[in-house]
Amino acid sequence: MTQDNHGKKYKFGMVIDLDKCTGCGSCMVACMSENNVPFKEDETNKKDSITWMRVFKLTNGKPFPETDICYMPRPCMHCGGKGDHGHSPCVSVCPATATDYGHDTGIVSQIYTRCFGCRYCMGACPYHARYFNWWDPKWPDGMEEYLSPNVSPRMRGVVEKCSFCYHRYQAARDKAYHEERRDEIEESEYQTACTQACPAGAITFGDLNNPDHEVCKFVNPDPHQCGKPRNPKAFRLLERLQTNPKVYYISEREWVRKAGDNYRDGEWGKEIHSSDGNSHK
Amino acid sequence: MSELEKKTESGSVDAAKDGASSEQKAEGDSGVGMGILFFIAAFAVCFLSGWLLFPSLLYSKKEQPFNFNHALHVAETGGCESCHSFREDGTFAGVPKNSSCIECHESQLGETEDEAIFMTEYVEKGKEVPWLIYSKQPDCVFFSHAAHVTGAKMDCVTCHGNIGESTTMKPYQENRITGYSRDIWGENIWGVKKNPWDRMKMDDCAKCHQEETGSKGACFQCHK
Amino acid sequence: MKIDRRSFLGLGLGAAAGVTLSPMPWKLTDDSSIWSQNWPWTPVPIDGEVTFDDTVCTLCPGNCGISVKKVNGRAIKIEGKKGYPVNDGGICLHGISGLQYLYDPSRVRFPMVKNGDTWKQVSWDEAASLVAGKIKELKDKGMADSVACVAGSDKGSIAGLYKRFITSVGSQNFYTVDTMEKTWEMLIERVHGLNASAAFDLAKSDYIISFGTGFIEGWGSPVNNFLANSSRKERHAKLVQVEYRLSNTAASADIWLPAKPGTEASLALGICSAMISANLYNAAFAQSAGKDFEAFAKFVNEKYDPELVSRTTGVDAAKIKAVAAEFAKAKSPLAIAGRGKGESAGSLMEFAAVHALNCLTGNINKEGGFWTIEQQDSLTWPSVVMDDSATKSYAKPPVGAVTSVIDSGASGAGIFSAVVSAVSGGATDSGQKVLSSVSKLFEVINASEKSPVELLMVYNSNPCFTLRNAKVVKDAVNKIPFVVSFSPYMDDTAQLADVILPTHTSLEMTQDVYSGACIAQNVIALSKSVAVPVYDTKHPGDAIISLAKATEGSVASNFTWKTYSECLESIMGDNFATLSEEGYIASELAPPVTPLSVDFSLFAAFKDSISLEGDAKSYPLTLVPIDTIRLASSTLASPPFAVKTVEDTVLFEKDTLVEINPETADKVGVDDGDYAVITTSVGEAKVRIHLFDGIMPGIIAIPEGLGHSTGAKGEIITKDGSPMAGITGATSIITQTGGVSKNRGQLENLYIGGKGVNVNELIGPVMDPASGLDAAWGIRARISRA
Repeated sequence: MTQDNHGKKYKFGMVIDLDKCTGCGSCMVACMSENNVPFKEDETNKKDSITWMRVFKLTNGKPFPETDICYMPRPCMHCGGKGDHGHSPCVSVCPATATDYGHDTGIVSQIYTRCFGCRYCMGACPYHARYFNWWDPKWPDGMEEYLSPNVSPRMRGVVEKCSFCYHRYQAARDKAYHEERRDEIEESEYQTACTQACPAGAITFGDLNNPDHEVCKFVNPDPHQCGKPRNPKAFRLLERLQTNPKVYYISEREWVRKAGDNYRDGEWGKEIHSSDGNSHK
Repeated sequence: MSELEKKTESGSVDAAKDGASSEQKAEGDSGVGMGILFFIAAFAVCFLSGWLLFPSLLYSKKEQPFNFNHALHVAETGGCESCHSFREDGTFAGVPKNSSCIECHESQLGETEDEAIFMTEYVEKGKEVPWLIYSKQPDCVFFSHAAHVTGAKMDCVTCHGNIGESTTMKPYQENRITGYSRDIWGENIWGVKKNPWDRMKMDDCAKCHQEETGSKGACFQCHK
Repeated sequence: MKIDRRSFLGLGLGAAAGVTLSPMPWKLTDDSSIWSQNWPWTPVPIDGEVTFDDTVCTLCPGNCGISVKKVNGRAIKIEGKKGYPVNDGGICLHGISGLQYLYDPSRVRFPMVKNGDTWKQVSWDEAASLVAGKIKELKDKGMADSVACVAGSDKGSIAGLYKRFITSVGSQNFYTVDTMEKTWEMLIERVHGLNASAAFDLAKSDYIISFGTGFIEGWGSPVNNFLANSSRKERHAKLVQVEYRLSNTAASADIWLPAKPGTEASLALGICSAMISANLYNAAFAQSAGKDFEAFAKFVNEKYDPELVSRTTGVDAAKIKAVAAEFAKAKSPLAIAGRGKGESAGSLMEFAAVHALNCLTGNINKEGGFWTIEQQDSLTWPSVVMDDSATKSYAKPPVGAVTSVIDSGASGAGIFSAVVSAVSGGATDSGQKVLSSVSKLFEVINASEKSPVELLMVYNSNPCFTLRNAKVVKDAVNKIPFVVSFSPYMDDTAQLADVILPTHTSLEMTQDVYSGACIAQNVIALSKSVAVPVYDTKHPGDAIISLAKATEGSVASNFTWKTYSECLESIMGDNFATLSEEGYIASELAPPVTPLSVDFSLFAAFKDSISLEGDAKSYPLTLVPIDTIRLASSTLASPPFAVKTVEDTVLFEKDTLVEINPETADKVGVDDGDYAVITTSVGEAKVRIHLFDGIMPGIIAIPEGLGHSTGAKGEIITKDGSPMAGITGATSIITQTGGVSKNRGQLENLYIGGKGVNVNELIGPVMDPASGLDAAWGIRARISRA
């Protein structure tokens, strides 16, 4: 495993308040606009519709008028993998080293020029956060003018996914270096496009290792349990897979928290102990 | 023994039975001679074209819009940073825009034809000079000048060589296949380098990072 | 010597050895791998200096502050402006997609004249003289009143110029689209006697009852409401949503009251009744400020007792009483109305019933309450000069004139005065203001043998898509002899035009902007041009000024400004300098100087006057539109990014999906994903079924904002006879291949065009007798398996 030990060790993560989320879709579009995500004439086949950030609609399955809905924005979870050592499901299977785990940031990369499109990572990702470019991107005449130079446009045959707007981290570091702060960056200096755009203020982003950051205050991650939230209203998706995502969700509603994993009858509410302790000492 | 092998064997036996074996042998000898001759000829042609013709075919040559004398400007302004500066947000401005040039070149300062071209063709017409950038990296690369120059206190020469001492601009050579500048792979067609600035491929970045920081770094450190 | 196969073998081996020992294969291996990673047709955006240009988004009346991120002066992204009073950094998906509107493939590239089946490029001067010629001709014939204009709104200087033009010509036929703001304005005039707009201090209210509003689905000022909703969650301020469907607002609400459709007003009066009988209203306020309060109290106690209301609405009486008690006890309770996004006018009486709640609490013009905001549009126009023919024509009533009758004894006059904004620019005010409605206009045109409108100008609106019974509107537009569109896009209405004078899109132009959309703020802003015009278009202000000049005579004399910017500077006065410098002026809300009066007589005269079109026997179900923020349903069509976010349970391939309850589906005999046909008295459409538990049985809900036509039909012939050229105003070429134009030769937007069903082809307008405006919120329908 490549260890990148220079610089400060960040662990960037995201907390999404599902009770504040209105399902408006600003995060999805802010992401598309920020990251040069292309679009096709027909985007209704959601399996080939590239949405790094995708808002899912959940329902509680109850009949009228007991029905309830909840919107769940789903970026890449930037999994730390079992034991939080960087063995993310996708990174582990990539035969091309086109995706790797940044130990200095906790961010899972995706290098388009390196990817040869085998799509193993897509099969490995339990969150369907990865997308394949089945076609070359095509913009209507002239619309290429709005493309951002900060994120490389992709080509046909490669996989892409949310990068936690890594280019914004790069820009923040540039500024920090320029101001002779080494790479010490402030919480407000590095925020993802979706966080910035969310009109409901439902998304919070920051360093999970830094107790002063909002994300840390919200979920109170347990360092001995690979960042498992200690806030009882917070949860991570498919916690029991031990993928150790860095995206946390908060909801007051029990049915929403329960929807975060596949519980069998009687399992919900009991403390889940994983076989190997799930912690690293 | 498979049927195929049997056939082949019997086939050769049949050929021997023809009674023309001696004649064939003699002809075969001259065939070997011709073969060698052809071998040598083909080898020579391909070897030489691979060494001499291929590089010139691989790269297209483009001249810069006009000549720029780095040495003269360094002497006048004092260093690289006076023109190749950082922006306030920490990004590197790279090749300066006309607006910075005309801070000095309000009107023509010298006598050179190059400056005259600059003034009449670009400044007066309000057009930026379409410089061809020797050290241009592909779109997938994010390079932080701030991290190297300000953070690691590296000298420009380490990566860019002695361009500041040059008085003329060499022709820009572009790889017809990749679209890269020749300077990324280096002048040497084998990619052999004597100086650190002779080649700037990913392995060169990684090598230096390994030496200086103990790690090649994660992908996203330099990619976008 | 003989050349045999060994020679060839030698040749081959020699070549192989020679090549292998040369750098060629090794270098080529590396190069070809690089080549395969950087296809030359993959665009490489050029890097450069990053700057931000602040302006105001004008895509909807919300008017958020935005920052346009630019690289080397090339706009690459739109972000919300931090600290701006309306949105404080937040932004909706359409605002972010602003640049897609700029490069929309259906943008009209140059002025065009329709010639049979083809469009012909003309110069701006040719186009203006053609239109001006027609107007002069009509004016000379004394038919100036047959010139009409439909505009999106009448706020601001640009709409003012269009209205001024129509007035100068000598016509009262200036129409704006009916929205809930209009209904609120009428209600305020009637109840409080003020010429003011309604505003709701949602961010500070601690108890909101919303009667079917799409509070977080695009109603009012969308982003401001998102902020208010989140602040509400933090403050534990309650939201009660009255709606027959679990919309996003209902899902976000603390209490969801699924009242039967059409009974919302009854529920409001039921809550009033519960408050009055439990003595939980602001008696001091009601008695001091209120006229005819006793009559109202008697009326609701007799007719809207919670037990009675419970039967009509289907909401439990105990629940009504509980909500009434909580509402009355709240510090700053607020009741709001305007269905969905509030893009249609709605029933005045329904609004009145809701507003009765506000009047009972007295939480008016106070923090967290209902506000009456006086017109802030402080433009000073020079008075309009009319020649004799214009004066004569102007005396004729508008084609779409409507009367509104309220049979309340107190009102006396019985006719509302129209809310005529100050932009009319000193139009000859003959005392009686006449109310008109755009829906009525097209109805009259369609009913007449010969169109009473000879020339229609369409600015900043798309009536062929947004008005109820769109098919009839299209027929009417086709009937009008000469239609001039000022649309930047080849939209549903522009396609039917005879001349298109394409105007700039919002990012390409400067204009004055006034906070509206029921936001409890006072913000005047200057929206600046942040992008170089991409095509041969004009500022809509300049377009109308040059048209006026070409019309000559008294019309031209009313447009003495050389350009729009000169006009704006002169009519804005002192504000212009401040705005040019600061970008916006925000001032505190102040209650009106005179004490507020409340006329309860209108409430006491409540009559449920809107009944849905169609008989219950042949149309057993109720069809209602769904408003979602992800689909724009007003003048502008949704940009590609927004369409991409639309769920596959709303739009799949080219089919609209309608929501019905599984119980209804069982009865009708359809299942999830099935094709079905919806039939109403207005039209029919093929759709697919989406089963949703959160919708009341008996209702079909259909998404708004789909069903746009694809774009221009027919060939476009350019001036030099060549096929239409590509983009002209590109600021930089960023494709490696040199930005080769990939033009289709057609002005079509296939990202939204040709997809799904336009709700307005199934629902017809229902004239509200109380306001004269369109109050349709649904229609009776039946559905069957296709």
